Amino acid sequence: MARIYQVPSHARLWLTLAIIAASLPQLSDGPWWQAVLLVVVLGWRALLDRQRLAQPGRLVRLGLLLATVGATFYSFGRLHGPEAGSALITSLFALKYLELVGKRDAYVLIVLGYFVCATILLFHRGPLAALYVVGCLTLLTASLAGINYSDTHARRRQHLTVASAMLLQALPLAVVLFVLVPRVAPLWNMQLDSGQARTGMSDSMSPGQVSRLTESSELAFRVQFQGTPPPPDQRYWRGLTYAYFDGTTWRQARPPGWSDADTFYDGRGPAPPWYRGLRAADRGPAWEYRVIMEPSQQRWLYALAVPFTDLDGQGLARDLRLVADNPVSGSYGYQVRSVPAAAEGLDLNGPERRLMLDLPDTGNRRARDLAASWRQRYRDDRELVQAALRYFREQPFHYTLEPPRLSGDTVDGFLFNTRRGFCEHYASSFTFLMRAAGIPARVVAGYQGGEPNGDYLQIRQYDAHAWTEVWLNGRWVRVDPTGAVAPERIELGLRGLVEGRADAGGDAVAGALGRLPVLFRVQQWMDYVDFNWQKWVLGYRQEDQRALIERLLGAFTPTRVALALLGAVLLVTAVLAVLVLARRRDAPARPLEREFARLRRGLARRGLNVADCHSAAALEAAAARRWPGAAGRAGHWRRYFEYLAYRRDGDPPAGELRQLRRRRRALMAGLKA
Amino acid sequence: MQALDKALAQVGRVVLGKQEQLKLALACMLAGGHLLIEDLPGMGKTTLAHALARVFRLDYRRVQFTSDMLPADILGVSVFDPDSGAFNLREGPVFSQLLLADEINRATPKTQGALLEAMEERQVTLDGLTRPLPEPFFVVATQNPVTQAGTFVLPESQLDRFLMRISLGYPAPEVEMELLAGGDLRDAVRRLKPVIEPSGLVKLVAHVGKVRATRDLLDYVQRLLEATRADDRLVAGLSPRAGLGLLRAARAWALIHDRDYVLPEDVQAVWPSVAEHRLQPREGGSVAAMTQSLLQTVPVVRG
Repeated sequence: MARIYQVPSHARLWLTLAIIAASLPQLSDGPWWQAVLLVVVLGWRALLDRQRLAQPGRLVRLGLLLATVGATFYSFGRLHGPEAGSALITSLFALKYLELVGKRDAYVLIVLGYFVCATILLFHRGPLAALYVVGCLTLLTASLAGINYSDTHARRRQHLTVASAMLLQALPLAVVLFVLVPRVAPLWNMQLDSGQARTGMSDSMSPGQVSRLTESSELAFRVQFQGTPPPPDQRYWRGLTYAYFDGTTWRQARPPGWSDADTFYDGRGPAPPWYRGLRAADRGPAWEYRVIMEPSQQRWLYALAVPFTDLDGQGLARDLRLVADNPVSGSYGYQVRSVPAAAEGLDLNGPERRLMLDLPDTGNRRARDLAASWRQRYRDDRELVQAALRYFREQPFHYTLEPPRLSGDTVDGFLFNTRRGFCEHYASSFTFLMRAAGIPARVVAGYQGGEPNGDYLQIRQYDAHAWTEVWLNGRWVRVDPTGAVAPERIELGLRGLVEGRADAGGDAVAGALGRLPVLFRVQQWMDYVDFNWQKWVLGYRQEDQRALIERLLGAFTPTRVALALLGAVLLVTAVLAVLVLARRRDAPARPLEREFARLRRGLARRGLNVADCHSAAALEAAAARRWPGAAGRAGHWRRYFEYLAYRRDGDPPAGELRQLRRRRRALMAGLKA
Repeated sequence: MQALDKALAQVGRVVLGKQEQLKLALACMLAGGHLLIEDLPGMGKTTLAHALARVFRLDYRRVQFTSDMLPADILGVSVFDPDSGAFNLREGPVFSQLLLADEINRATPKTQGALLEAMEERQVTLDGLTRPLPEPFFVVATQNPVTQAGTFVLPESQLDRFLMRISLGYPAPEVEMELLAGGDLRDAVRRLKPVIEPSGLVKLVAHVGKVRATRDLLDYVQRLLEATRADDRLVAGLSPRAGLGLLRAARAWALIHDRDYVLPEDVQAVWPSVAEHRLQPREGGSVAAMTQSLLQTVPVVRG
């Protein structure tokens, strides 16, 4: 058997742990065979290290490689892309451990490990993930330290200490680089399709088609208000509007013949008239807040009615919702100023008005009749809306998360037969009734409510909601029929609702929330940490950097940034160097040593320079030669010093030190320069 | 200690004017180490060894090393006894309490190695049988300066087996006069009176280990060792074993001066004899000057 490189036994534990730790996230997300592969490799390697098993031959290694590549292709359908790519690199990382032939291979393995750690961050972005990756880095660095210790007696703990110290020293540099290195917009856009794209929203809504609403406690976004947040019943986070109804499904729609500029403004080019109108109506009370979105892979952003932003990275649509320039693939934050009164700045004419009144030509006869009867009785739109709400309130409607399925005329079926449903059913049928009565109306989807945690609100998927907006007195007015049926849904939120109603099928939700108060508190605290992580670390974008640098340096120019970077790195390095060198210096002088140094300095002041290679006796002799009269006192001092320093172990007690000091002063007093 | 002073005085009667070297040789014995004397022939090396053996009443043997010598000539040999039909070990000169190995660098490395191994292990293995050497056991080896022809230079690893290396050197003029005027030195040695019994010497050796060395002193010793390692004029610094030897020699030196604690001066006194033969200059120059300069740069008390 050829001589192969053996990882020193003291470093083996760290290397094995590092490999397991770095692979673990991939193993938990990826296909099962990866775990099998890792176990096989680790087992083989362990036997190899104990010389129970030979290193796999070229053919076996080639076979393993091909099998791994093949399995990756089989599991992912491709070899490129973030998921397949990181799965492949993690597997190859494990395989590399099997073929350590020289020390160089161990270096390659460890460097590959750092790369695998980086891929973890593609899929996991929370503070815990970051902490985990730091742990992996520590283990990898410890193995790196370990294989560089040739001493077979090196201690394991030592490697970990070295690695931790190195990482701690690197930390300030990492912070400097994080803050100052120019952040460029991603050169490529990675489409991550696993685990990230979950949202309660879709671009269409078909009440009655879903018999059970899957409620998830996953976070949708967080909001931090500057000032007091609005009361719960005002927290309607608009995301998208549905204007077109085909009898079963509500969809987003644009008035026929209208262009992009008529319905959307993203800050580029001159503002269209409708945007100027909204801006002109910008008065009255406003809410200011910052929203931090979880990745949704969609462009819809959520905000309270009439949201104004700086239009940097997102635009405002005519139906008063925000749309991001790109799908939200990572945590994404934006600052909003919501002005409810600005809604008056819009008009509703021509094709748009026709769209908001449009209904299928046929179907849902009874609902149309009901609307017509209301129309006859109430001339005033406002009264009609009140009557409709009253209808929902007084008829035996029932709020449930598990409504029966509907077919055919779904609006009629819901209004007159089942009368059981959740927000979508109410919003859909109410909007239908309004349009049938000749009042322009649309369905709005978004989130309602939000749970306070610290100084911000958490809005989760189970807060997803749909409601209606009707055109009253020249402006869009929010009407929430669900509120008429189940007011507590609006006031308490879904969480309050499911706690009160056993039949709402909310067990899963309640379970997800955690019944234990302590657990709940921990959860909330974790979320708080996560929030700040999102806000300060993941949310640190090009614009934030620019603003920060402008505040720190006055201007954002390449020269200034480069100089600041260089300066900061040098400063950090210098501070570290001073700290490290100071530690390397000997321990601080002990009392006897200080006393000795004092005498030497005292003699030097009086013109007698004695090198520090002089012992106490040599010092005495030199002093006695220079000042023969002081010979006695010099001997007096020397004997006592030798007694303290060389006849007794340990630092002398304070009393004896005082005695020595007295003898030194007595000696010095008699000396003349 | 009075007995030690007396022993010194006795040896001083035959090795004239070499008080320092005598004290070092004595310190080396008390420290339980072996002594290497490097000198030209006829400088009184043999007289010194013999005198030391006399004052401690040690069983003394002398071996003149030559290039045709074999290990058996030192260690001994198994001889077949036809009467008893068994092999008997005939002990070599190494089975003595004080062995004078004269001109050790004349022997081949193999023979040198056999002796040095016995010195280190304090036992001899012959025909699979291990026999301890007598107690106490000292080797005083002499060596011609390596510039002489026909010598095998002792490698550093073996030089390390000797705790100290000293040289006696030519006597001072007045001492030489005295020497010339005096009678036969051989007679004088034979007339020396034993001062300390071998068992007393063993006790003294044990006592050396108890001489106090405080942290301040150990600090100093450590700084000296460290300085040899940091000195780029030297090929390599002193080993930890050399450091332990230095400390032991300093303790013995303190004991000779009737102290039960070590002073930095003790370390400085034994320093050249302990350090010089263990260090090699990188590119020429005098090791003696280098070790001396270390003494003058390393602070005795840190401050």
